[in-house]
Amino acid sequence: MKIKRKWENIVFYIVLILLAAFWMAPLILALLNSFKSNGELLTNILSIPKTLSLINYKRSIEKMHFFRSMRNTLFLSIFSVGLIVFFSSLAGWKLCRTKTKLSSMIYHLIIFSMLIPFSSIMIPLYRVVLAFHIKNNLFGLSFVYAGLGVGMAIFLYYQFVKEIPIELEEAAEMDGSSQLNTFFKIIFPLLKNVTITVCITNFLWIWNDFLLPLIMISDNKKYTLILSTNTLFGQYSNDWSAILSALIMVVIPAVIIYILFQKQIMHSITDSAIKG
Amino acid sequence: MSKKTKENISLLIFITPALIVFLIFKLFPTFSGIFYALTDWNGFNKSFNFVGLENFLEIFSDTNFWKSIIFTIKFVLVMAIFGNLIPLFLAVAIESRPKGKGLFRTIFYMPNMISMIIGGYMWGFIFTKVLYYLADNFGMKFLDHSWIGDPNYAFFAIVIVALWGASGYVMLIYIAALKGVPVHLIEAASLDGATKIQSFFYVTLPMIRHAITICLFWILSTSFQVFDVIYSLTGGGPGRATESVAINIYEEAFRGNIRYGYATAKSTVLFLIVLMITIIQLKLTDRKDNGI
Repeated sequence: MKIKRKWENIVFYIVLILLAAFWMAPLILALLNSFKSNGELLTNILSIPKTLSLINYKRSIEKMHFFRSMRNTLFLSIFSVGLIVFFSSLAGWKLCRTKTKLSSMIYHLIIFSMLIPFSSIMIPLYRVVLAFHIKNNLFGLSFVYAGLGVGMAIFLYYQFVKEIPIELEEAAEMDGSSQLNTFFKIIFPLLKNVTITVCITNFLWIWNDFLLPLIMISDNKKYTLILSTNTLFGQYSNDWSAILSALIMVVIPAVIIYILFQKQIMHSITDSAIKG
Repeated sequence: MSKKTKENISLLIFITPALIVFLIFKLFPTFSGIFYALTDWNGFNKSFNFVGLENFLEIFSDTNFWKSIIFTIKFVLVMAIFGNLIPLFLAVAIESRPKGKGLFRTIFYMPNMISMIIGGYMWGFIFTKVLYYLADNFGMKFLDHSWIGDPNYAFFAIVIVALWGASGYVMLIYIAALKGVPVHLIEAASLDGATKIQSFFYVTLPMIRHAITICLFWILSTSFQVFDVIYSLTGGGPGRATESVAINIYEEAFRGNIRYGYATAKSTVLFLIVLMITIIQLKLTDRKDNGI
């Protein structure tokens, strides 16, 4: 029995290691080749680069205006996430605590809207964005992200508020605390875990989003990282050493965040998936 | 003022910020989309005509759109099968190992941190450069295909990249579900003489059926909307051979001759399909929960 289990382990480990190698292959090959010149890349695609030259990186940083795109992406993601957290924590809490017909109607409308796929509203949404003159405006587009993101976030906050005993709020109200005060002093701190979940899932969504910026941002000064990578790919489609170094630079921040916050990220992903 | 009215006013004060952005950027586009779908608007002219269901009738004879629907259904079916089997295998294989669980989870989940646009370009490098290199220098002739240029292989390439991108997420849900299966049930089964394979099919699988439904329908509804992978890997080509519904709508609305009215009619069809899948899911999960 023991020997059988040992063999079983060995077989499974071999399969898992092979699959893991396959999973990492795109990242590793991109990293290795991002240091090579285009000539070296074509003749020695699998080998370790001869020299650790950063010239490709310098080239692609200039071509894709890396730091400007990074700033734009950071602004868009952080500001949108801030709006989503602020708007939906308030709304989720109040919707959960108000037991009227209107409240449950609004809540169900918001839940139902989570089913509407982005690609089926993108055209009329584009018209709305034009009407508000917020095309190419990162500040304005954050509100668009907020509009698209509040549904899921309100749902999550609502589910967690349900588990907080209402006596806490009633006691605070007795002491003459205003509702807003009660919310920020007592309720919001208790919602820390769900806030982390909302922040992580929405940040990753907006950081990696492509279709919305593709439609709503045409001014290259406002490009996000993914948009400028896409443009670089369009302009220099055969200059793989420039493209691969750009891809690596876009991926590295995400990988660092992933390794640092792995536990929280995995926890919040399963949390939102199972609640949703 | 009655108590209810007071409560409602206070409610509206607190939810106004969320409600405003939601109404303007989500609900209004949804309804105006249905309205535009009934017009011949081209997006620029101030005036347009109300054409009733003409756009929807035109969809029936739009071969490109039908091709994109058939392509998408093919993609969705393959994803529904392998996008569940592979992650389920990974989850079981990782969870039943004594060591290295964390490391394997980290590796298989990694692609989910990366935009599929970026992932698609990385795989594009493999399909257009690395595989040829392997075929030429290591005699792996079976890799010597035009992976992006030949419609059949392009479909295969898209599926590989999409599975690479989606498996980690589904795997995490399965791992969470497997942890919820009581150990004593598995032990009881093995005392009764069940083999590992038997106890997997008769004990574990029924216990995680809720997770299977979640994953299956998550895959179905996201695969129907597939855009990023195809955009970065093949751009819908060669020709229009790998065009998904979302790519087709995007092309109709934002490239070439712009017909907003017609494109929104197509979007409405996509919405109805996704809606149908979700309603079936809700019905199914409801019935199962009552059955326990």
